[in-house]
Amino acid sequence: MNMSYFLRRHWLTLAFLTGCVVLLAGGASLIGDRLMERVTINLCINIVLVMGLQVFMGNSGILSFAHIGFMGVGAYSAALFTIPSQMKNMALPELYPVLAGLSLDPLLAILVGGLIAAVIAALVSYPLMRLSDAAAVITSFALLVVLHTVMLHWSEVTNGPRTLFGLPKYTGLLLAASAAVLAIWVGMIFKESRIGLLLRASRSDEIAAAAIGSNIPQMRWMAFILGAFLAGIGGGLWGHFITSFAPKAFFLKETFVILGMLIIGGPRTVSGAVMGTLIVTGTFEGLRTVENGLNRAELFSGQVIGLTEIVLALAMIAVLILRPGGLFPAREIGTLITLRAKGKRMNSSV
Amino acid sequence: MTTVIQFLIDVLSLGGAYALMALGLVIVYGILRLVNFAYGELIMIAGYVLYLMSGSGLPWLVMAFMGVLAAIATGIATDYIAFRPVRAKSVTAVLITSFAFSTLLQNAALLLVSPRPRPIPLPDLFSTTVEFLGVVTPARNLITILAAFILLSLFLFVMRYTIIGLAMRAAATNFRMARMLGVPANLVISSAFAISGLLAGVASLLWLGRIGSVVPGVGLEPLLIAFIATVLGGMRSLEGAVLGGFLLAFIDTGLNYLLPQDLLKFRDAFTFSFVILVLLWRPQGLIKGPASGDRT
Amino acid sequence: MLEVIDLEVRYGSIAAVKGIRFSVAPGALATLLGANGAGKSSTLLAIAGALPVAKGKILFDGVDVTGKKPEQMVQAGLAMVPETRDVFPDLTVDENLRLGAYTRLRDKSGVASDRERLFALFPRLQERKEQAAGTLSGGEQQMLVIARAMMARPKVLLLDEPSLGLAPVVVDQLFAMIAELKALGTTILLVEQNATKALQVADSAFVLRQGKIATEGRASDIAARQDLNALYLGGGM
Repeated sequence: MNMSYFLRRHWLTLAFLTGCVVLLAGGASLIGDRLMERVTINLCINIVLVMGLQVFMGNSGILSFAHIGFMGVGAYSAALFTIPSQMKNMALPELYPVLAGLSLDPLLAILVGGLIAAVIAALVSYPLMRLSDAAAVITSFALLVVLHTVMLHWSEVTNGPRTLFGLPKYTGLLLAASAAVLAIWVGMIFKESRIGLLLRASRSDEIAAAAIGSNIPQMRWMAFILGAFLAGIGGGLWGHFITSFAPKAFFLKETFVILGMLIIGGPRTVSGAVMGTLIVTGTFEGLRTVENGLNRAELFSGQVIGLTEIVLALAMIAVLILRPGGLFPAREIGTLITLRAKGKRMNSSV
Repeated sequence: MTTVIQFLIDVLSLGGAYALMALGLVIVYGILRLVNFAYGELIMIAGYVLYLMSGSGLPWLVMAFMGVLAAIATGIATDYIAFRPVRAKSVTAVLITSFAFSTLLQNAALLLVSPRPRPIPLPDLFSTTVEFLGVVTPARNLITILAAFILLSLFLFVMRYTIIGLAMRAAATNFRMARMLGVPANLVISSAFAISGLLAGVASLLWLGRIGSVVPGVGLEPLLIAFIATVLGGMRSLEGAVLGGFLLAFIDTGLNYLLPQDLLKFRDAFTFSFVILVLLWRPQGLIKGPASGDRT
Repeated sequence: MLEVIDLEVRYGSIAAVKGIRFSVAPGALATLLGANGAGKSSTLLAIAGALPVAKGKILFDGVDVTGKKPEQMVQAGLAMVPETRDVFPDLTVDENLRLGAYTRLRDKSGVASDRERLFALFPRLQERKEQAAGTLSGGEQQMLVIARAMMARPKVLLLDEPSLGLAPVVVDQLFAMIAELKALGTTILLVEQNATKALQVADSAFVLRQGKIATEGRASDIAARQDLNALYLGGGM
């Protein structure tokens, strides 16, 4: 790819999206409010996860349920390298002795987690990329269940269904925000790369794309691996932010939230992925405050839970009915801004 | 000999429940190409209706009937909320709306009832054991076999001999042509969802009868079972779904008898890896369904 | 009986039918001729409600039926046999016919007598009524889809390329059948590649070229024209 052409064409989108992240992170760190910092870090990690899904789904047009499984792979893998060895006795009592001595700098560990997720994705997914439609969806769903079952029962490495604890708190605002920006750039570059372009062309016409000599399953595979890598990184970042987690964190509920962000924003564009994450995370935090408020006020006999998911589910259905491509269905935000500016100029000159 | 009979009863009763679950998923998939992720929630809804009526003093059969009715109503609601508005759009959109609808129902149960398990009322018959051909077995196993047999026969009769059954089979192969003969699309679709709800509702009684309680996430396992059985049986073949249900029950029960405890916990990983392999080998499933067509 | 006014049909941005106007009188047999891609099938599908009408109107028995769904058109009395010859392959011949009478659920005796009449007309179908429709030969399948459409007792029958891919002997039988259906009083709109055959049975003909009507007239007049091929292709051959 011609980098200078890429930058000339997409500098505004990249600047806008990067700016959003930098502004939020900078704002949060200036204000210094703990809650706001937490929310912003979460948001940045979500951007990484959603971008991972966007890289595959947005370009190939195939729905994948397995994504969050790779987030789990990343989180558990990274944890193996960062839980201090004296803690490992308690945190992972059944750990294989070979792995007990592993230790890496957390940043490296998170990267390694991403790589392991990518390698596993590469190994298991290659034959799956031929499938489309229902077979593709069910296999990706089956893959999520397989990954989940393994996390749930491989006690030697994951501590089984119990919570894994003892990860150092490493992910801060700066790291999360940098990762989010990098993920945005990676996603944008992939989208505009030859593979990205061909994949997107193949969604509308698989035969034509195959006719110009492109091996579609192989390109889907690359997108899938890159997506899994980002998911793994996201998992590692999240693990070292939350510091303890259990396998159920990487299953259908998380899948639903990440998918919801992408669908509402618009899976085909990077702007959609990022803006969807911003909107949904923002709304979620608002609703959670309401939920907590309701619970504190004890207006209802039981606890108020599930409200956020209900609102997200309704929003997803509404978006798919009213605006099936999401908020940013086809054009990146930079293009939209340029077009609008041009439109204004034309109007004023008339 | 008694072990064989015991094994057979186990397979047939588990298989009966599995077959109903799989059939309910396939009837919608076969006609509409929709993998209905909200299918497990039909089973959940029937359970909660039973729970909510547990203090009512009504005869159990009336409560069971209401539970099944609620599953049917929810099935039809799936059509109106998650399917019909996006039907003409992409396959992915329909999948996502059904996934969203599933989450919606689960969280509604969380919000309105409780995240904790709630007991459901069951007739005494479900907890008694009987001696059958020299084998002592819970009566519910025999009830399950009988109920599954009756419902499957009824289903077969409807699909084979009634005009709506014919229309649904026709729509499964060629929806457009069926419409061009005057078969109303919406009627076929709603019927498919209603039958799906009926099968799920009965399966729910049999399934929750084993567990004894209902939680918001109770539908996941039946959904997964239905997935596997469907893939085994050929994604679009009705007979295949039934066969797949019994086959899965055979495999599951067999593994229960054979696998050592510490491998048994990975059973789901094995079965789902097997599902992936089957789909790679034959994307249409093991048994070939009717020729394909579109859903508009 | 059937009136098409300034009909336009589009696939996305491409217009397949660009404003055509014609009508078919009650009991008449009209034929739409033209080369591949002239817009014949699109016209039929739009009339049957299976393709959206971009512009224009369709009147059936004097009533505006533009934008009706296919199932509503059958209810109103218009049946179509698409070119794709869609039997339901897993259903038996008899079950296919039963579905053809879907709109006449209450008229049990009428359906039964129509079924006997059609079996008399298509004896091969009677012999094979318990067989899965997918096992029939191409010609038999064509008979079945026509018979199935007739089970709705339509006032108007739309036939799309019924002779496509059939052996010459079977084509002769088929056209004899079509003539008989006309004799029974059915209004027919026939799309055909085999212009000679179609013009023999038709009363009137319309030649489509690139989505527009190039020529129309009495079938015998059109058949007599020497430049029929040129009319199809629009060249000055």
